[in-house]
Amino acid sequence: MNTRQREATISDLEFSTFYLGEALFGISLLDIQEINKQSDITRVPQASDDIKGILNLRGRIVTMIDLGKKLGLDSLQKTKENRNIIVDSGGEYIGLMVDAISNVVTAKKTDLEPAPANISGVRGTCFVGVLKTETDLIGILNIDEILKENEAQNSAAA
Amino acid sequence: MIENNVYVSGSQADNFPATSDSLRVDVTLLDTLMNLAGELVLSRNQLLQGIGSPDMKTIEFSGQRIDMITSELQDAIMKTRMQPVSRLFDKLSPVVSDLGQHYGKTVELITDGKEVELDKTIIETIFVPLKRLVETCIESGIEIPDKRKQSGKKANGRLVLRALHDTSQVNIELSDDGCGKQFQTTPEDVTAGIERLGGTIDIKSKKGAGTDIQIKLPLSQSIIPSQITSVEGEQFAIPQTNLSELIRIPAAEVKDKIEKVGNADVVRLRGELLPLLNLPDILGIEKTYTDASGIVHPDRRDNLADRRSKKHSADGRPLSMKPDAAKELTPRDPADRRNHHSKAVNIAVVFAGDYKYGLVIDQLHDSEEIVVKPLGRHLKKYKAYSGATIMGDGNVALILDILHLAQMAGLSTMAESNQWVKKEQETIDSTSEKESLIIFKNLDTEYFSAPFHSIERIERITSSDIEQVGNRKVIQYRGGTLPLFELSQILNVAPLPEKEQREVIVFNVNGNEFGLMVTPPIDALEISLALDETTLKQKGVTGSMVINNHTTLMLDVAEMAGQFLNEEV
Repeated sequence: MNTRQREATISDLEFSTFYLGEALFGISLLDIQEINKQSDITRVPQASDDIKGILNLRGRIVTMIDLGKKLGLDSLQKTKENRNIIVDSGGEYIGLMVDAISNVVTAKKTDLEPAPANISGVRGTCFVGVLKTETDLIGILNIDEILKENEAQNSAAA
Repeated sequence: MIENNVYVSGSQADNFPATSDSLRVDVTLLDTLMNLAGELVLSRNQLLQGIGSPDMKTIEFSGQRIDMITSELQDAIMKTRMQPVSRLFDKLSPVVSDLGQHYGKTVELITDGKEVELDKTIIETIFVPLKRLVETCIESGIEIPDKRKQSGKKANGRLVLRALHDTSQVNIELSDDGCGKQFQTTPEDVTAGIERLGGTIDIKSKKGAGTDIQIKLPLSQSIIPSQITSVEGEQFAIPQTNLSELIRIPAAEVKDKIEKVGNADVVRLRGELLPLLNLPDILGIEKTYTDASGIVHPDRRDNLADRRSKKHSADGRPLSMKPDAAKELTPRDPADRRNHHSKAVNIAVVFAGDYKYGLVIDQLHDSEEIVVKPLGRHLKKYKAYSGATIMGDGNVALILDILHLAQMAGLSTMAESNQWVKKEQETIDSTSEKESLIIFKNLDTEYFSAPFHSIERIERITSSDIEQVGNRKVIQYRGGTLPLFELSQILNVAPLPEKEQREVIVFNVNGNEFGLMVTPPIDALEISLALDETTLKQKGVTGSMVINNHTTLMLDVAEMAGQFLNEEV
């Protein structure tokens, strides 16, 4: 167990924060496998708008999702700052494409406030909570919820 | 070895029960894996050293070693997934006895080849389709004891389940001694299930004597031979098991070979009409074309056989067939040639279940053994793909699901479309009598036909073999001399251009043979004759008729022979 994880289990939570447009969001570091800037994505014709395609991550086929689009915000603006956050959701690696990566933020569990019904136009159920820092308001995303919601849509469409 | 299993009772499972996450592996196999892993580490170290040094030999050597180890490792890992089909057969036994009881039939199950091994996934996936087949055999194949006795059979029905190795695949055979009437068609879900595994199914029934079913399965599912293709810059893999042939229609023939029936493009392949599917249409990929200056534009054309020829008016009838018709054959402005038939069309002829169709592709690449990887859960609902694979260059290609593509495009199955063709022919039949014709061309748009019975054969000759005797052309042919003619000698049509090879139709009129040089394609066709014997009547021509949207002149072979051969005397 590395230092970061040990600390996290004691009292602190760590979040990787990133931008979707102007808004700042966070994901628990424990959910993240890696962050990269691979751009050789193979598109999947017919797939819905929020799915950008599939990526070869060292032999694994990873579905790439435009996180902004997925949350109902603006879709990804292509820049050099774009990154893919590879998360482990239900045993599957899924890539979340974000506009830019920001800092890692540490917080105590008690710092996390319940999310209002709506943050920056995103439904409250997509969040585990909100984190207020001196300068920013960070919506901490509930990755499993966001990606599970998609499954529900899948079965409805199937 | 044949074992006799007569089971009394058991439970019926709808799915293969043990899609277990653990697996028993032979220890010697594990040792092999350990060894190979050790070798791999050594070779990697060598490679890393080699990269640091200027000596290319070390890199080459370790590259070869890694190549070998990788193959062996792959083999060994595949082996860990192999399981005996007894797992499958044992699960089917209770199904047989339960169902037998349920229908008041005594069914004896005989299994053979239980030791044959198949990939774990295949064993688990094939269970449902196989169970379905077994159920149908017992339910409506095997008769009740009384009825069996009446037809001189033993009261007990027999069901034989056999597995055997056949080169790189495994055959699973299921046969019964029932009435042989239970399968009018193969159940769609069974076919789909088997084909998803890269397998095929063949059902043969003998009325009163039973049914033989043969299922061919690949040994392992994870690696399948595939044809790599590309459409609009994206690579797609077509499993070889779905591929029947690859055809290329040269630009010049696109207009003749690809036709429009209703809203769909079809291609004529050896007398069979094959529907054509365009991936961009089904999958909603934007179609593009590249203009003369190399700029890519969106293409709004919706069919391959769009005819732009000025010779045809809206209803497909020719506007003129005057002597100067040949002038209209001059090439159009190149800028106007962006339509599809300005380039060759590649077609992958594929089949799955009861479907057979041509998939139009932009480019053909290699045939490769690909490793099938499943798509993530967000993409599972897109049935056009059965998975994805990683290409040699690291890029990802989608694997096409040929069966589902056909369903998505709303294609009719072969049985349905044959019926349709039959119906079309029947309606023609009822109006007038049918005649066998041969259709060919003089120049590109000059279509001719002749009665099939007047033709001896069709030959391809090399132009340099043609000899000039006086003002005649002849060729040595089957120990004799065959005079050669072309239509421009008797009709007001353009002379044939110089070509290395020539297609020659050999006619026989009252024992006199002569060859007519023509332009391919040469097609045979059965059609009801409805000749227009006035408009285009001339010496050597009986009349004209529109065949496949082309005005076609019907040759009067006897008159033609007279003209050619009398001239010769």
